[in-house]
Amino acid sequence: MNEPAILTENLTRTFGALTAVDGINLSVTAGQFFGFLGPNGAGKSTTIKMLTGLLSPTSGRIRLLGMDFGADPVEVKRQIGVVPEGMGLFERLTGAEYLNFVGRMYGLDRETARRRSDELLHFMQLADRPKSVIADYSHGMQKKLALAAAVIHGPRILFLDEPFEGVDALAAGALKSLLARMTERGVTIFLTSHVLEIVERLCSHVAIIHKGRLVAQGSLDELRAGISSDDSSPRTLEQIFLSIVGQGGAARSQLEELSWLT
Amino acid sequence: MADVTPKTETGGPGVFTQIRLVAGLRWRILRNLMRVRNSRLDIVGLIFAAIFASAFVIGLCWLFGWGAYFSVSKGRFDWFLLLFWSIGLFWQAFPLFVAGFGAPFEFRTLLRFPLRFSAFYLIGLAYGLADFAAVCGACWLLSIGVGVSLARLTLLPQVALVIVLFIWMNITLERLLSSWLERLLARRRTRELLFGVFILLSVSAQFLRPAIIHYTEGAHASVSLQRLVSYLSPLPPSLAGSAVIAAGEGQSLQFLTSVGALLIYIVILSALLWQRFAAQYRGEELSETSAPVTSVTYSSPSAMERKSDPFGFLSPQLGAILSKEIKYLVRNGFVLISLLMPPLLVLLFSSQFSGKHPSVTHTRIASDTFFPAMMGYLILMLMTPAYNCFAYESKGIRNYYTAPVRFREVLLAKNLMHAAILVFEIVVATTLLSIRVGLPSSPVLAATILALVFAVAGQFAIADWVALSFPRKLEYGSMRGQRGSGVSVWIAFGVQILLAGICTIILFAGRWTKNPWLPAEAFAALAVASLAGYFAALDSLSNVAEKKKEVLIETLSK
Repeated sequence: MNEPAILTENLTRTFGALTAVDGINLSVTAGQFFGFLGPNGAGKSTTIKMLTGLLSPTSGRIRLLGMDFGADPVEVKRQIGVVPEGMGLFERLTGAEYLNFVGRMYGLDRETARRRSDELLHFMQLADRPKSVIADYSHGMQKKLALAAAVIHGPRILFLDEPFEGVDALAAGALKSLLARMTERGVTIFLTSHVLEIVERLCSHVAIIHKGRLVAQGSLDELRAGISSDDSSPRTLEQIFLSIVGQGGAARSQLEELSWLT
Repeated sequence: MADVTPKTETGGPGVFTQIRLVAGLRWRILRNLMRVRNSRLDIVGLIFAAIFASAFVIGLCWLFGWGAYFSVSKGRFDWFLLLFWSIGLFWQAFPLFVAGFGAPFEFRTLLRFPLRFSAFYLIGLAYGLADFAAVCGACWLLSIGVGVSLARLTLLPQVALVIVLFIWMNITLERLLSSWLERLLARRRTRELLFGVFILLSVSAQFLRPAIIHYTEGAHASVSLQRLVSYLSPLPPSLAGSAVIAAGEGQSLQFLTSVGALLIYIVILSALLWQRFAAQYRGEELSETSAPVTSVTYSSPSAMERKSDPFGFLSPQLGAILSKEIKYLVRNGFVLISLLMPPLLVLLFSSQFSGKHPSVTHTRIASDTFFPAMMGYLILMLMTPAYNCFAYESKGIRNYYTAPVRFREVLLAKNLMHAAILVFEIVVATTLLSIRVGLPSSPVLAATILALVFAVAGQFAIADWVALSFPRKLEYGSMRGQRGSGVSVWIAFGVQILLAGICTIILFAGRWTKNPWLPAEAFAALAVASLAGYFAALDSLSNVAEKKKEVLIETLSK
């Protein structure tokens, strides 16, 4: 039996009185392009931080590629790549130095780390500024570098927190192709994004978290089937999302109350 | 139809309402900061610092008050020059050296609000009065006023006028200098270069006293001082002092001239400050800008580096972290240049306390005492950063938690790097000392080296725990506003006092027992024990790092 690439059991995280993630049970099959959605403050980043070892769960269990994260975190981390919220780059290194550093941290030998760094810098169109430190990069360039660092060791699961934010259309297109190719090769990609069109185009499966609870999980078709529709036209992910999260008319009615704004 | 009329006055809030709002904002920032656990512990550290600072301020208040009283009652009005100069210099120089005690607050951010320029200017000035140096300066000047009143009450109106003008001048000048400094330091490279020059100047200043003593040998100190003061007479502290002298000697015209000159300074400085603030008010952009793209041919990796891996004997992770640490050190101009300071200070002390002609003690301190003392001083100076060794990691700290690495390797790499710096500094200082004062006897040399191993290895374990538990982010390549967390500073201080005490007792035990090799034997045992303790502690520290990761990531990613 194939064990899911990502499996969580009653994953919970509290901050004082606030329960940011409330007993979620996620299951992502290997090779899936998985979109993790939710409104602001729903618990997306907290979940991704727990799945990547940046935050300890208050309770619950995480299994990645059949391995218990709590029991052998070092071996699990060897198999995953992460673009965390805020990217987490060493800003006083150059792009090449940073990629070399990350490669070596994942145990690549010096030559392999250097060769892959070079290839990735060219692929991300970052090779023309070899002497610039990351602090002098634009936001989009930093994002591309963070993505390059996340894949340098050939991870089997890739966690991406808002990976396309600030990335230009040209690079975004190349990145999407790269990610799609990775999933074809069996890599599991777990992605959060507020741009629902991107998720809809890239992801085969989606989960929606709201107020710390998982409110929907399945393939896009399954989610569409689960939403009642007045007409026969297929639902967009945005419609599904708004329908599930229940914000349909709320924003408009709130705006109407701010009559002094208009 | 909706009511679209603003409920506020048409002109918006007045200047004083805006100032009151900003004062309230600062208070709320401080209060919210205290709600965070580590910050609350920081406050404990700050309370201790505040007690020392209060003793310093009150002690000098008494000294300035007594100085003013003595000058007036003995008719030695020329002393006022010295009083005003010391306060003026402290007021302008101190903010450059230390961080303020208050909560961090960028008053320029207020520009996003509909703030009138007059309010912006006044808030800017008031911001200057909230500085520690300004509070000290104002207190000391008030003490001078009290001293003068007690000695001769009739002088008070004139002296009060001079004090008010001097406070006004100092606040304006300090704000002007800060504002220009902010503009100059907006670019990273300029900032690092300036801080490097600043550090070198600070160290060079230490050699001024021996130089003055050398060149004024034979002349009376007061004659040399008078000669110096005559060159400084057109400057504000001299003018303030001259005004008080003139008032005391009943020379009204001279008093009015000095006060007038002081007022001219205030007008000119205010105009310059007005101009600076106006530029900021118009939206002067001081943010870090991207360096221009330079077209450099990118070498292929095969051609780029064929060098052998200097850390090939270490694990890839350890090598990667060490390599990164070296790059961070080399690119941090401020820290790099500050490494010149300890050997230079050792050189300075050797001229003051030992060598052929010690300028302070006049009697040469024996090398057997001087050498261990200097090594202790080096450790005191150089070990403190280890207590906040993640200070410059910023958001990069997450790499250590997402990478497949035990935190013991991260700590080991950081400690190795620190130890390498220590070895380098100690070798340089020892070389300088051997030239200047000669090396100590073999038993003392061996005991000192073993004591260093004991003190450093013993401290690393504690310093790592402190760095994980009470982290504080420091701005890379910056000096102003930089300090470790209050708790870490006090723990470092306590540990170093304790270790210095143990080492001193053991060193002296050799003399008391007349067994010169006893300290070396004792330190050898302690060094082995502390090294074993350090390696044994690394696994526990890894667990601490795991437990503290949220605090560490949150604090350093701010």
